[in-house]
Amino acid sequence: MQILLVLIVILGGMGLSVEAGLLGPLGSQVGELWATLSIFGVGAALTFFLMLFFSPRDSPSFFSQPPLLLVGGILGPIYVVILTVVTPVIGIAMTMIGILAGQVSKSLIIDHYGLFGTTERKIDNKRIIALFFIIAALFFMAQG
Amino acid sequence: MTLILMVILAIIGGATLSVQAALNGRLGGNVGVFKSAFLTFSVGAVVTSLLIFFFEPNHTVTLMNVPKWQLLGALCGVPYIVIMVVAVQRIGTAVATVAVIFGQLCMSVLIDNFGWLGNEAIHLSGSRISALVCLAIALYFIHSSSKSIAQNAQ
Repeated sequence: MQILLVLIVILGGMGLSVEAGLLGPLGSQVGELWATLSIFGVGAALTFFLMLFFSPRDSPSFFSQPPLLLVGGILGPIYVVILTVVTPVIGIAMTMIGILAGQVSKSLIIDHYGLFGTTERKIDNKRIIALFFIIAALFFMAQG
Repeated sequence: MTLILMVILAIIGGATLSVQAALNGRLGGNVGVFKSAFLTFSVGAVVTSLLIFFFEPNHTVTLMNVPKWQLLGALCGVPYIVIMVVAVQRIGTAVATVAVIFGQLCMSVLIDNFGWLGNEAIHLSGSRISALVCLAIALYFIHSSSKSIAQNAQ
């Protein structure tokens, strides 16, 4: 059962790469912003149905939330546009590793200072070592 | 030069993504994951539409006349959200994080190597394999760090 779930999560990760792989060529044909809209348009439709049928019935309104928590949607397009611009130039694998480097270093900073209401946690040596190896991987990838 | 610029852009993209994940994690905890995912996608669609209205130059090819399979990106991204909701509680964040990154890397190396989905082929080479070894080590450290974080949280 556990193994099956792990496999499904791996498939989920593969889906993310396929998404990036579809975006690059699409963006060079119809333009980066249109390609981004295709993701958010279809995604909004799909998650609308998920929300409609599977959300807890008594979940609080967006308008009861602090506005800062709602800006996630503005950051999303930045990420997708970057994917669309970058993948045709440096390839999917290198893009994914660059993204990973950004995520790990940013999460170190977020955790360290407890930004955005996360619990404060001192810089973690293991994550720094991980970041070091990710950067090494970027260098190897750059050599082709 | 373009290479470095593009890698830096990708790193900025990753940083943006993790800020978004931190915000959405909190919002999801308050209003429910699907509701927060819907907000992300719909606000994203609105922002992108505005940008298109004012900044997008004309293209001869549009979303309406590319092959339909090219529009399936979101169908590969949205299941990820659902899978994580279901899986994280049962297998834990540490394993789930590593499994996602593992899947991403395998698939991206495959797409590059074979030039799938209309991408330019970048073949697997000695230095690409060295990069993957470095990532395997990085994944090990990410796993053990997430594991100790999860233990502290309990």
